[in-house]
Amino acid sequence: MNLAQQLINGVILAAGYACVAIGWTVLLGAARLVNFAHGQLFMLGAFAAWFAMRRAGVSYGVSILVAVVVMAVLGIVMQLAMRRLVVEQNLTSLMIVTLGFGYVLQGAAAKAFGGSPQSLVSPLEKASVRWGELWFSWQDVLLVVVTLPLFAALWLVLERTRLGATVRAVAEDPKLAQLFGLNPAWTYTGVFVFEAASVAFAATLIAPRSPILTSMGFDEVILTFVVVVLGGVGSIGGTLLASLGLGLFTAFFGALVSPAYTTAAAFAVLLTVLVIRPGGLSGAR
Amino acid sequence: MTSRPRNATWLRMAGGAAAAVAAFYLPALAGGSAVAYSTCATIAIFAVMAYGTDLVLSYLGEVSLGHTIFWAGGAYVTALLATRLGCNAWLTALATVVFAVALAFALGLATLKTREFVFSLVTYAAAVVAMEIAFNWAFVGGSDGITGVPRLVLPLGFRTYAGGTSAELWPVALGLLLLTLGFVDRFRRSRLGLAALMVQMNPGLAMTLGLDTRRVRVMVFVVSAPLSALAGWLYAYQRAYVGPDMFESYFLVVMLTAAVLTGRRVLLGPVFGTAIILTQQNLLSVGGDGDKIILGSVLAGVLLFWPQGLVGLWRFARHAVVKRSRGVAQG
Repeated sequence: MNLAQQLINGVILAAGYACVAIGWTVLLGAARLVNFAHGQLFMLGAFAAWFAMRRAGVSYGVSILVAVVVMAVLGIVMQLAMRRLVVEQNLTSLMIVTLGFGYVLQGAAAKAFGGSPQSLVSPLEKASVRWGELWFSWQDVLLVVVTLPLFAALWLVLERTRLGATVRAVAEDPKLAQLFGLNPAWTYTGVFVFEAASVAFAATLIAPRSPILTSMGFDEVILTFVVVVLGGVGSIGGTLLASLGLGLFTAFFGALVSPAYTTAAAFAVLLTVLVIRPGGLSGAR
Repeated sequence: MTSRPRNATWLRMAGGAAAAVAAFYLPALAGGSAVAYSTCATIAIFAVMAYGTDLVLSYLGEVSLGHTIFWAGGAYVTALLATRLGCNAWLTALATVVFAVALAFALGLATLKTREFVFSLVTYAAAVVAMEIAFNWAFVGGSDGITGVPRLVLPLGFRTYAGGTSAELWPVALGLLLLTLGFVDRFRRSRLGLAALMVQMNPGLAMTLGLDTRRVRVMVFVVSAPLSALAGWLYAYQRAYVGPDMFESYFLVVMLTAAVLTGRRVLLGPVFGTAIILTQQNLLSVGGDGDKIILGSVLAGVLLFWPQGLVGLWRFARHAVVKRSRGVAQG
């Protein structure tokens, strides 16, 4: 096994996890809403970009934009449907509703795009870097290079701007925020739209690495559960750190122990941590 | 709530018995074909599966996404014991219950301090781990699963009941469903059932009254697991095959939809919910993807637009009709 290559693989995986998890962790932190359709949104984001490239003949860069806009609109629609439950903070029903939405999206995508695998072609995926024994593509570089500023920007917005203060206030206490003239319903909508758009963005960056199917989404997103919970719900830095840890863990576990059991091993780590520290690694409680 | 008069209880039991007898002849009345028997048996099995999730959702107010573990686990235990050791159905059922209780206890303790979405995420995570193990472990058949599960054999002392065809399995499925209904009915009136409701509705009060909320949560989880597992037990015999596909989200979505469609905390709710879902899929199917859209829409739609489910709709309609007829009488 090549140690340096596994390190690179781990960092690339970590960037992917972080990119997929970013919207989810903000949504969880601000609205305490778990979106179980997150995986299907990932799938739909990739297919929206693919459809734009195939039918409208746009370039890869434009297709990213199309996917983000389409998914943001879908986010608004979903949020409008769930509005009452979100304002009531009926979390139990919300979880089940998003599970239902995910099922609908999967069925609808299979009907619309067919069951055969497609490929989202990025010009950067073909261009690879060979460096002695080491190998990676420019697409991987793009993923890593884009993810870090994304996290920095999000952290700045949440911690240093008025908008971020609003989101944090609503997350802390929606009723009190309302008393101060903030509108929690709008904040929830904004956060949800950010989640849908960011996962679509992540999908367009990650999907060129392998064929896309309408049944996908689950595998790509399932590990971000671990990231979000381990990082401490709603914590930006924690999410980034947990992504890095999980990416390296996955790469090395796959190379050293068994590629078949990596997901199970990651979840075993999660279960263990939760038994010892229910608030996640960075959680105070 | 005042205690029921004695004859009302008798009346209720007589009504239940009459309904059970009527249900027994339902597939025969529906034509008596193999399809009628297998549809009815599957409805009964899936309803029992749904009661596991229903107990946790309706009485504890938590969403367990891990009940597919018990459902598939029960089926795996049954298939392993029946094919490798030739155990009869009593033994496999007993092993299934023991397995489910032990696993639920471990999972319940692991999730002791988790609430709401963290509880759901962790139970979901556990299901993913279980699926990956089932998929990769050669001992339980790996991705091929376990084929050739023999027919169900129940020695009754005076004779031995064997069930191979759907018609032969139907009485067993109905019996399991009736046992489950009796169990859930008792649970609803038990100390644990009432304690669970109090923990859900007013945790502060429950604590003040000296209830150990964590203990109540674990106990309800443990009590719910054997239901889904026993459904898996019978499903293994019905399908004669057990594989990792039993962990698929389809079963999870069916469980949750069945639990919310009719209305929560309604004794017969999951039975009606399951019957509606499976009737649509077996008789009025619009293709696999179309059925997915329908099932997902029903699940989301009920919670978004009619949280009380069909029972709420019925009450609303009755109320509206009564109101209108009164209005007509006055006018």
